[in-house]
Amino acid sequence: MPLIIAGRHKRRVRFPAASLPPAVISTPATAQQQQQKRPGNQVPSPAKPGKSGKPSKSESSNSSTMATQQEPRPGIPALFTQPPPIRDPLVTETVELQDATLERCLEFLKGLHISQGSFNASGVPALQRDPHITYLYDSLEDYPEGFVAMDASRPWMVYWALAGLTLLGEDPTRFRERVLGTLRPMQHPTGGFGGGHGQISHLAGSYAAVLALALVGGEDAFALVDREAMWRWLGRLKQADGGFSVTEGGEEDVRGAYCAATIIALLDLPLTLPHDAKKAREAGFETLTDGLAEYLSRCQSFEGGISGSPGVEAHGAYAFCSLACLSILGPPEETIPRHMNIPLLLSWLSARQYAPEGGFSGRTNKLVDGCYSHWVGGCWPLLQSALDGKPLSSGAPTTTVGNLYSREGLDRYILSCCQSPRGGLRDKPGKSPDSYHTCYVLTGLSATQHHHYRTNTSISSSSEFASAFSWQSSPMRAVDNVYDKADRLVAFHPLFVIPHQAAANMRLWCESNPIAT
Amino acid sequence: MAEGYANDPEWANITPIELDDGSESGAMPLATIAYPDEYLEATSYLRAVMAANEMSERALKLTKDVISMNPAHYTVWIYRAKILFALDKDLTEELNWLNGVSLKYLKNYQIWHHRQVLISSQTHFPTMPPKEPDFLMEMFAQDSKNYHVWTYRHWLVRHFKLWDSPRELEDVEALIKADVRNNSAWNHRYMLRFGPRDDVPDAGMVNSGNADISPEEKGRLPVVDEDLIDAELKYAQEQILRAPENRSPWWYARGVLRAAGRGLGEWEGFVGIFVDGGGG
Repeated sequence: MPLIIAGRHKRRVRFPAASLPPAVISTPATAQQQQQKRPGNQVPSPAKPGKSGKPSKSESSNSSTMATQQEPRPGIPALFTQPPPIRDPLVTETVELQDATLERCLEFLKGLHISQGSFNASGVPALQRDPHITYLYDSLEDYPEGFVAMDASRPWMVYWALAGLTLLGEDPTRFRERVLGTLRPMQHPTGGFGGGHGQISHLAGSYAAVLALALVGGEDAFALVDREAMWRWLGRLKQADGGFSVTEGGEEDVRGAYCAATIIALLDLPLTLPHDAKKAREAGFETLTDGLAEYLSRCQSFEGGISGSPGVEAHGAYAFCSLACLSILGPPEETIPRHMNIPLLLSWLSARQYAPEGGFSGRTNKLVDGCYSHWVGGCWPLLQSALDGKPLSSGAPTTTVGNLYSREGLDRYILSCCQSPRGGLRDKPGKSPDSYHTCYVLTGLSATQHHHYRTNTSISSSSEFASAFSWQSSPMRAVDNVYDKADRLVAFHPLFVIPHQAAANMRLWCESNPIAT
Repeated sequence: MAEGYANDPEWANITPIELDDGSESGAMPLATIAYPDEYLEATSYLRAVMAANEMSERALKLTKDVISMNPAHYTVWIYRAKILFALDKDLTEELNWLNGVSLKYLKNYQIWHHRQVLISSQTHFPTMPPKEPDFLMEMFAQDSKNYHVWTYRHWLVRHFKLWDSPRELEDVEALIKADVRNNSAWNHRYMLRFGPRDDVPDAGMVNSGNADISPEEKGRLPVVDEDLIDAELKYAQEQILRAPENRSPWWYARGVLRAAGRGLGEWEGFVGIFVDGGGG
């Protein structure tokens, strides 16, 4: 078990600078930009389809090498060990990248890579719990100067590590004093937290800061946030089209919407618009949430998925932000069907899971990436709840639409492909781990291990966010699982991405300490 | 600049604000970074001039210095944009400098919002700078699916009303020709053809975000140009035949049929050629 870091000298993290997380302030969207690129828009020679127009059967092209031919370990269904049965002859850059990824993943999916450790009867490697815990403790310490790009994302670094540790069963409250000391200089008297001292307040940084405070909990942590200033700042970020910009003078996107809704709900901020919410007032809005769901509705693309801002390509990270925001604003069985075309959404979301990889991609014709285990995987419980309908009891629903994706596929991708042999989790084999991926891959694994549902009772006494505080989780039944009991993680709240109790504690403390406005 | 700020007479009247990493609280701060000295010094001066809201040439130079060390520092970009407008700087010169920075830091996205802030100034750019599409194609040559560049390009179309600009469609077709699986290019094509225009609020599909219209109606055009629909369906079929397993043109076609209020059934014959024992 890793030791707790105290003492006067901080340890240096042992990560090479090359494992810089993609993120920077926030990031879902940038994670996918990590893929190596080759220059040139070479125009490939147009390949004609077969004479009947039928696609040719896969004859594994010249890219096929050893991993595709070696026999897998026993216990692994063919779905997860063989390339897709049909393959188009036309090779483009997308196919080259996909082929290379598939080739590399197959060795891990089949359980043939030397780094993988011990396997269970399902051919799945065990969760390397201790190395991951050590990795995350390390990630809270001192980074070498090559990490200067993370200077604007320090609240995230704190949140990702504490969230990951919590999922792994560690106690984050031991970091309370250090979290408070770290975040205090990042808060502005005019509201919100920046990415570091002297940086302007940012919704992503504020979201990460609020969640980190919720994780360590306690009155001192809750009282650290200047909630009145936060409320006023949110008013200034509210835009005339209903959404939120991420900073004053910064871009507007659905991250802003989700981060704002999370902050409002957890901190029990008043919904009334502050007086200086100029743009929102001029647009005729009266509350911070007016027009927000309509804004999200305009972000659904013709593919059925949801984009970062209206009119752009559908993207898994933004899909989660939008669906989670809608599920905070009201009961998902009301807000999601009212604002999203569900058949299109289901179709696009289902297409995010690939076989044989088992993991999710963020966009059509892009590669699988472990972080989408959360961004895409986290959409499923929300849609499931929307389809299950109004909760009628205080326990688990008796009828449910059940599994909407392959939990087995995702578990296999995470445990076989995303574990870095020396600790930490990663995008895919061949990539270095970072705390962003470690946090969100583990969050995704936890979500596969639990059934998330809402009950007819809320921990919150207010009617506004009653639904958001009515979620419960129970472990999935053991018979179908491909992971061992020892690999189970703590359950997280599907909207706030921290433990249920941490969200409840923060909300209840804020309800009992209302702010004067 | 490399000599440092403390010894520079230009900066003598500024008292830098040193980094408060929270260690004064007695608890050791988390996730700290061993910043290079030059970065620590430059950001200390940045905090000081920002606190004074200084709009000056020297502050502008300072922002460039910080950006050169950390382009992911979002604060410095927002401050820089404010100074550029306050001093009425030559924004075309700024764009030329930005081009180089964008090509150097392909994954950075603060740059793209900065570009949008500059170009949204109607006084400086009543029409689109003519080199804009060429530069965007240069970016796409590096990464043809770069989400931030596509987000910016979409904004550009809305801002300068370029839906029917021949260049937009030309570029999209060139990118689809180079890689028929470039889904970002397909999305852009859909928005050029079927996205809401002019004063209608932007949306991925028409008929969105209006509480009176059911989500079932999303994407259905109030007025349908059947010739355009037929041409787009034909284009989709041609692209499907190049690589039938490619989901992008199939979903594009589904979107086109939806826009026209036509059923999927009219594609039964075409679809049949991909199914054993099917028609077509």
